[in-house]
Amino acid sequence: MTAFNKRFAIVFAVLAIFAAACTGSDEPAATTAAAPATTAPAEAPADDMDDAEPFKIGLVTDTGKVDDKSFNQSAWEGAQEAAAALGVEANYIETEEAKDYDNNIGLFVEDGANVIITVGFGLGDATIAAAQANPDIFFIGVDQFQGEALPNLAGLIFPEDQSGFLAGALAGMLTETNIVGAVLGTDLVPPVVAFKEGWEHGARYTNPDVETISTYHPGGLDVAFGDPDWGAATARQALDQGADIIFGAGGATGNGALIEIASQDGAFCVGVDTDQWNTVPEAQPCLVTSAMKLITPGVADLVAQAASGDFAGGNYLGEVGLAPFHDFDDIVTDDMRATLDDVLAGLNAGEIDTGWPPG
Amino acid sequence: MTLIAGSDPEASRAKGGASRWTTRRVWSLAGAAVLVAVVWAFYAWNGAQTTAVLSGTVRAATLLVLGAMCGMIGERSGIVNIGIEGQFLMSAFAAFTIASISGSLFLGVVAGVSTGLAMGWMLAAMAVGLRTDQIIAGTVLNIAALGLTSFFYDRGRSLGQLKYQAIELGPLADLPVVGTALFNRPPLTYLALILVIVLHVLLLRSVWGMRTTAIGEHPGAAATVGIDVIRLRYLNVTLAGGLAGLGGAYLALEAVGTFTRAMSGGRGFLALAVMIFGRRTPLGAYAAALFFGFTTALQNQFQLNDTFDIPAQFVGMLPFVVTIIVVAAAGLFGRMRDPAALGQPYEVR
Repeated sequence: MTAFNKRFAIVFAVLAIFAAACTGSDEPAATTAAAPATTAPAEAPADDMDDAEPFKIGLVTDTGKVDDKSFNQSAWEGAQEAAAALGVEANYIETEEAKDYDNNIGLFVEDGANVIITVGFGLGDATIAAAQANPDIFFIGVDQFQGEALPNLAGLIFPEDQSGFLAGALAGMLTETNIVGAVLGTDLVPPVVAFKEGWEHGARYTNPDVETISTYHPGGLDVAFGDPDWGAATARQALDQGADIIFGAGGATGNGALIEIASQDGAFCVGVDTDQWNTVPEAQPCLVTSAMKLITPGVADLVAQAASGDFAGGNYLGEVGLAPFHDFDDIVTDDMRATLDDVLAGLNAGEIDTGWPPG
Repeated sequence: MTLIAGSDPEASRAKGGASRWTTRRVWSLAGAAVLVAVVWAFYAWNGAQTTAVLSGTVRAATLLVLGAMCGMIGERSGIVNIGIEGQFLMSAFAAFTIASISGSLFLGVVAGVSTGLAMGWMLAAMAVGLRTDQIIAGTVLNIAALGLTSFFYDRGRSLGQLKYQAIELGPLADLPVVGTALFNRPPLTYLALILVIVLHVLLLRSVWGMRTTAIGEHPGAAATVGIDVIRLRYLNVTLAGGLAGLGGAYLALEAVGTFTRAMSGGRGFLALAVMIFGRRTPLGAYAAALFFGFTTALQNQFQLNDTFDIPAQFVGMLPFVVTIIVVAAAGLFGRMRDPAALGQPYEVR
């Protein structure tokens, strides 16, 4: 009887672990795979003609998921876009815990990947180490600023402060209570801090009377971007004390904030990274715009560079912008649009201080 | 077996001498008075912020107390349940999916509670029926829930409607200080509050509650007076799963309004700390849950105000430090102890 019990428990546990493991890498990681492997070389660029192996693209997410409706997803879409253009396949590994960064990159190295994309600031050190150890493989680090350039590692970075500044400038004009809020991932990640600083300075730029209230998730990297309950509760706390336009920036945590604000009549929310009108439809009742980083084209462009062999290491500055206003097109007046255009021009000319980098 | 008590004089009288309670009552009342005074002072100073913090407190406490009640029914019956996290997650997934497909939040809640019951039954089947190690059984639930929900999660799915909205309870909602925090809440929060009170009475006063305590303290003795230990443990652990199921439904349909992977974020484990802090009574657990919720809301407020230069993490750490102190002090002075048969499988001889 006891032996049977143990066996039952073990079998069940193994099944459960298997189910968990499946979702991590294999099953849904199926891909664009537009062309079968045999036809791939015909479409592949001339550079790897003597190599029958198709060009391999690997992507390692941060502890957020590849379907986080935010930045991991945007990067994955960029990888898929590049793969489709090259007629090859892309694969991803989702990082469950921060300690697995090295292992997950190592899996693609062993698999013979030609280009490995690591998504997120947290993977920066692991990516640099892997790039130094594997000079033949191209690495793309999304949100990873490169202090010293390596020839085979490009950091895809964005002026998040400018993106946040634009959104904040709009918020400063839209608020009626003169209180604008922000519910953010963690201050352990510099791009998040850049978004916040830009957002607050932008709001004050168009509305000197505005009061800015902002909160970071108090947890570590493991939970800060995956806690929609905290995001929603915190957004409510900001609404309860008068904020009427709130920026939700931080993966699923920020999405929780957006959905909470959708329940409040007359309040606006601002998404982040991608046009969250499409990725978080629950937020449509309040989503006036999103502070976008154009990650997808940035990743696709860098992968194409790697495939053509014309790859520049160092930092690659991606583009930012505001998402369309969708249902709120009528609320954003012509005057506001004109101001936003002026702000954008000022940012591009470097005439406006976004508060980032500090000092 | 009678589950709901008629008035049982034996049971009521079994509650310790009255003299020892009076000193404690005085202290509790004094503490409550100070608390009310402090809250009132803050309310007078800044009404909007105080209301926001109190609302955040109640909100964060709801899920914790539901999980804690699930845990305490199990522990009072002698079954450790560390699978609350998995029960939350699986129920949240079921509630969200069914609500999204059917377009009815209510059906979502039914699905969430049913899933919780099923998860509770699975724990009972492993821990009671098969006498597996209870920690392993709970771990199995956690891993299975994470794996299955991640596997079947359809990222394109959305609720297609607003989540549960706050319902104002007439003039009560206009009361100062507590009006918004307690009487302008969404429906599942009210339900959880009612359950806390009902379960408190049932566990401490009813025949079912006494029998539950009996099978957790000395199942052999309980069996000799005719209690079917195995059956009652099955029943209790399954029903307790329903509470966690309600917690999952609350998480997906009222707190957040969508499902994301691993969205329970460790709150099922936090609920166990709340349960111990609250001495395995529903009202105690609710007080503990409010304390945990309060520190969450307070650390947010510190950041929102940007006035105090205390790291938010320090405030966030407080409930855990207090829990450790409470548990350690309780252990040192012998004021609190686990049910005697906790964690031990019961074999019918």
